[in-house]
Amino acid sequence: MAIKKHDTNDTPEPEASPEVTDLEDTSQANPPMALLKPMRLASALAVCASGWLLPGASHVVLGRWGRGLIFAASVVTMFVFGLIMQGRLYDITPEQPLHIFAFVADVGIGLPYIIAQQFGYGIGVLSNPNYDYGSTFLWVAGLLNYLIVLDAFDISQGRKP
Amino acid sequence: MTLSHFTALILFSLIVSVVFALISKTQPMEQIKYGAFVFVSFLGVALVVGWIMFPFPN
Repeated sequence: MAIKKHDTNDTPEPEASPEVTDLEDTSQANPPMALLKPMRLASALAVCASGWLLPGASHVVLGRWGRGLIFAASVVTMFVFGLIMQGRLYDITPEQPLHIFAFVADVGIGLPYIIAQQFGYGIGVLSNPNYDYGSTFLWVAGLLNYLIVLDAFDISQGRKP
Repeated sequence: MTLSHFTALILFSLIVSVVFALISKTQPMEQIKYGAFVFVSFLGVALVVGWIMFPFPN
């Protein structure tokens, strides 16, 4: 997939090449100064889907390795601490329609949510003093990942470096 | 594993401030400043609100 970038400066510096370059070159350039050329919507959505499934993956795909790894470490750490504090991972239950909001927040973390559910984590132990904090950590981890995915979408559309 | 409320607050503030800083700012120095501001704000507001609630009965 050839992703192009262009320079954001109104007056390009002499050493800056006006030609578009491949995405692989962005790791050697100064990322804050480089905008990607807008991707096709389907490609951008695919990048976002990867970021939802694996936190930080969308930034890695876009060549923002540093940010992607920090995002992944942050969000996964928060999720793991939520599980350690025996918070609850919500799923869709017809008897409790308002739980849909908690489910939407929880599922934002993507694959870790699915893995935790499969292995029986996130049951939620009400007797644990950290139960509420754990559940909040799990929600916020998912919600932060939504923000990260939206950030990756903006990057893929050339709206921010 | 049981964390104290303050430890949980610090952990929460730290992670959220890192993500907010990286999303909101592009330059490294701006990110550090903004991340520190968000982190201290989280702690400060939580402590102030905690003390405001202190006189009230449970």
